[in-house]
Amino acid sequence: MQYALLVQGSPYSYQASHSALRFAQAVVRRGHSLTAVFFYHDGVYNAARLAAPPQDEPHLYDAWAQLHREHDTELLVCIAAALRRGLMDERESSRHGKAGHSLEPPFILTGLGQLIEASTAYDRLISFSP
Amino acid sequence: MVLHILNRSPSMSRVFQQALDAMGTDDRLLLIEDGVQGALPQLIPYLEPVLGRLFVLKEDLVSRALEGHCDARAIVVDVDGFVSLTEEADKTVSWF
Repeated sequence: MQYALLVQGSPYSYQASHSALRFAQAVVRRGHSLTAVFFYHDGVYNAARLAAPPQDEPHLYDAWAQLHREHDTELLVCIAAALRRGLMDERESSRHGKAGHSLEPPFILTGLGQLIEASTAYDRLISFSP
Repeated sequence: MVLHILNRSPSMSRVFQQALDAMGTDDRLLLIEDGVQGALPQLIPYLEPVLGRLFVLKEDLVSRALEGHCDARAIVVDVDGFVSLTEEADKTVSWF
């Protein structure tokens, strides 16, 4: 089956991101395809490239990136939710006249259309919210 | 069959009532995160209408030291069981 996840909870504030990651790892372990993870609302903070949690705590950013590397999972970040929270890639940073960027591949800024597509094109869409 | 996923304890939020109201006769309810408290003997009466199709996530019970304290009528599943429930369901609804 093709799965997609929607993550709306802020990492390290709510359990949603950890629940989603644990579910994602089980999905691929059971032989399914995890096609996309869509980060929305405060869930976009999962994509902050400068995240540096203590070494004895789960590193959500690295774990999502590992899923992309090993299972080709698309990591899609809602652009409207991200920009208003200061998360932007090099292109958006330049467009807004900012120094530096806070988001980079494998996380990709995208629109809500991708979420609608995830809800219709894939077999399952599971939401994890705060 | 729809799998309803609830992450709030009945002792903290009334959203469980909305989930129950929305559930069809074959639908299932899975308790995750703080929602696992709903499987405790003190709180399970709130979820009585769905007994027999009430599931609770083991990992979230363990992280709260609640494993072994659930009402026996709640069906404990691990995260692989969670995925399995989503395989069997036509779709899922998350309540929060």
